[in-house]
Amino acid sequence: MTTTTTTDLYSDDPQWVDVTPIPQYDGINPVAPILYTDEYKDATDYFRGVLKSGEKSERVLELTERVIRMNPAHYTAWQYRYQTILALGTPLDEEITLMNDIAMDHLKTYQVWHHRRLILTQTKQAAQELAFLVKVLGLDNKNYHTWAYRQWILSHFSDDDLWRHELEFVDSMLRDDIRNNSAWHHRFFVLFEAGVRAGDEDREALARQEILYSKERISLAPNNASAWNYLRGVLDRSGTEYSSLAGFVEPYAGLPGPTASDADTIDTENPAPQPGARLPSVAALEFMADVYEKQGGERLADARKLWTSLAREHDTIRQKYWEYRSTAAGKL
Amino acid sequence: MTALFSSDDCYPSATSDLQAHTEHVLSERRAKPRTDKEPSLDKNNHIQFLARNLLQGFPSRYTSQDASQPWLSFWTLHSLSILQVSLDPGNKQKAIDTILTWQHPDGGFGGGPGQAAHLLPTYASVCALAISGRPGPGGGWDQIKRDKVYAFFMSLKQPDGSFLVAHHAEVDVRGIYCLLVTATLLNILTPELIAGTAEFLASCQTYEGGFASSSQPYFSATPDSETESAKALLDKPRPPLGEAHGGYTFCAVASLVLIQSFEGQESTRLPQINVRNLLRWLVQMQGTAAELGGFKGRTNKLVDGCYSWWVGGAFSLLSSLGLAPPHEHSGAEEGAESWDDVDDALFNREALQTYILMACQHHAGGLVDKPPKGPDAYHTMYCLAGLASAQHTLSPSASRKAEIRRAWKNTGTGGLSASTIPPSQSDIDDEFGDLRKNVFLETLSWHEETGTQCILGGAQNKVNATHPLFNLTVTHSEGIMGHFYRQTIPPVSIRMKQPE
Ligand SMILES: [Zn+2]
Repeated sequence: MTTTTTTDLYSDDPQWVDVTPIPQYDGINPVAPILYTDEYKDATDYFRGVLKSGEKSERVLELTERVIRMNPAHYTAWQYRYQTILALGTPLDEEITLMNDIAMDHLKTYQVWHHRRLILTQTKQAAQELAFLVKVLGLDNKNYHTWAYRQWILSHFSDDDLWRHELEFVDSMLRDDIRNNSAWHHRFFVLFEAGVRAGDEDREALARQEILYSKERISLAPNNASAWNYLRGVLDRSGTEYSSLAGFVEPYAGLPGPTASDADTIDTENPAPQPGARLPSVAALEFMADVYEKQGGERLADARKLWTSLAREHDTIRQKYWEYRSTAAGKL
Repeated sequence: MTALFSSDDCYPSATSDLQAHTEHVLSERRAKPRTDKEPSLDKNNHIQFLARNLLQGFPSRYTSQDASQPWLSFWTLHSLSILQVSLDPGNKQKAIDTILTWQHPDGGFGGGPGQAAHLLPTYASVCALAISGRPGPGGGWDQIKRDKVYAFFMSLKQPDGSFLVAHHAEVDVRGIYCLLVTATLLNILTPELIAGTAEFLASCQTYEGGFASSSQPYFSATPDSETESAKALLDKPRPPLGEAHGGYTFCAVASLVLIQSFEGQESTRLPQINVRNLLRWLVQMQGTAAELGGFKGRTNKLVDGCYSWWVGGAFSLLSSLGLAPPHEHSGAEEGAESWDDVDDALFNREALQTYILMACQHHAGGLVDKPPKGPDAYHTMYCLAGLASAQHTLSPSASRKAEIRRAWKNTGTGGLSASTIPPSQSDIDDEFGDLRKNVFLETLSWHEETGTQCILGGAQNKVNATHPLFNLTVTHSEGIMGHFYRQTIPPVSIRMKQPE
């Protein structure tokens, strides 16, 4: 934000006398008008004038920047700016430098990120992007556009050098906030969605590694939905039976596990809930009900018992859903 | 039974700290009106907020929405419709005249006069015209250049079945939803337009069950190959870009239902999505009692009034995707009229209404994301639409479909006059006649059975139902579609809900 004491309107600027400003609504009295500031009205009147004349010049770049800084969602200004850059052959690295500045101020605007993507598609200079994005995620660690853009950089350029440190990066994000679902999603993107990278060819080993990773995170915070969803994603993707984790999950569901008598044994494969955790965890009850449902037969009664306890006691807001699960299970 | 504060498992992080803070703010909202009075919807206050915005205008901070002027009008007009208010003829005409200034000479609508055409304002403009417009000269409907809309849509189409939202702009599923609703209302759907789109949408489903903004295509040839057409799109990898999100999930699911309505349920071309995971994700988005039962838009994020529609509104679409109905009525407790007996919904309708009425109403009129935020046009409409979807359950009705089918008249060009038939389809229009009849019958047979309403706070809180796919009232949906398909839609015959 700059405070201007003198107005610098295009309508007062002799360098713009050759452009005819075009008012937005001519001869009609619109519904739901926005009561613009004089500066915004002036700039967009001249922008409409330029759109009509088709001028593409340095001063048009300055004009579109002024519009964008007042309203970064003005997609027509972005579109015209992009066409002007191409027409003038403007150095694209300068454009990225300017975008670094604008992106920091307007993280939640689609156009900021897409313009960057258009430029990167041309320059193919992806190497600095990941470091820039770490900085941006430092301002807002769940920004949707930033994460989607990072995933685009990785998959579009698909360069091994870009991918090399991605898992370390996710780890650091999850150490900062174990409940950051954007980071959990990114982990799944890196390991399971975006193709198989060198070193990750053994998919079974990868699944085992990620199941253990999930278990360790669940033991720290057993009510963290992100970690449970990730675990389910890994199991589904690798075709691992949920029942193979019953021994791990039972203590979290407040159920007597098969090894409950050996309380002193430390089982690194099945870390126990940390003291202070709120148990039973709803996600663990749900998980065990899924295990019993799959086993079927007499086990269905055990599943129903858990769904009933979820509906009546532990997760009453979802009563309808748990009752539905119970009814639907009988029909399978 | 439920603890007031969700536990952070004694392992706090930024997310759980923010969550605890939000639950604290919400608990104060719940405690305040403890006068044994049920919460009320302050309709007059909201109507004044909306009328002020529509007639006097929006303050300058709305400059950030200058490229969304059709949305400001649509949100405002539709909010009034949900609140059962319609405009006088003079203001309707003013609205029509305003909307038509956003139409681009090359097809579609822009965010304001002179702005480039874009899928989102095209949807908002056409929906705003569905509310305020009429047939004939100056009525708005017949001034829409449908052939150019179609050409604009085709010009945005990508090899992976997706669409750019505008030239030189991004791909995302909101744009596809906006395109499909517009094409359905205007009767310009063709197989060519939607080829590959369902597969693109399916590829946006994440491991959590909800949908992301878009996905990344991979092609068989090297990335720097110049001949786009020579490359074949690969089934895998096709990673979603971004995590599962309420807004994108609604748009993707509604889009899939629209495509299915056009192509027919038996179509083998439709890709599979995981409906079980989708349902699980949707129910997980409802906050607990400590969050007053509002919806959130992503795992481990905060509740927000607008997801009342984006997530709450998505539940009614699940039956169209093959989810079995919750329960068959046994008829054992006949005559009982308790909430449970009429409530087939898989989310907590009462709790969602609690959140909207207690946490989202601003004392100065308008509705909000969550306290202590101020009201805006967007949250006002999506909170009200969410309230409508919690009060009313609309579902596809075979008997309503039969009524509309009996009244169907073959009109040759299926509503397109010779001059507006897109060039690419002029000689195969008859072939699409059946598909267009499909989409007309399927989309207009959504119906609310008598006795299925659940209105927290009593009848004075009742709002109009909105169409589960279009988010327009049923009256406005029927009006504009009847016009563009050249059909007369029969009135609904009164039926009671039948025990099955
Ligand atoms: Zn919101």
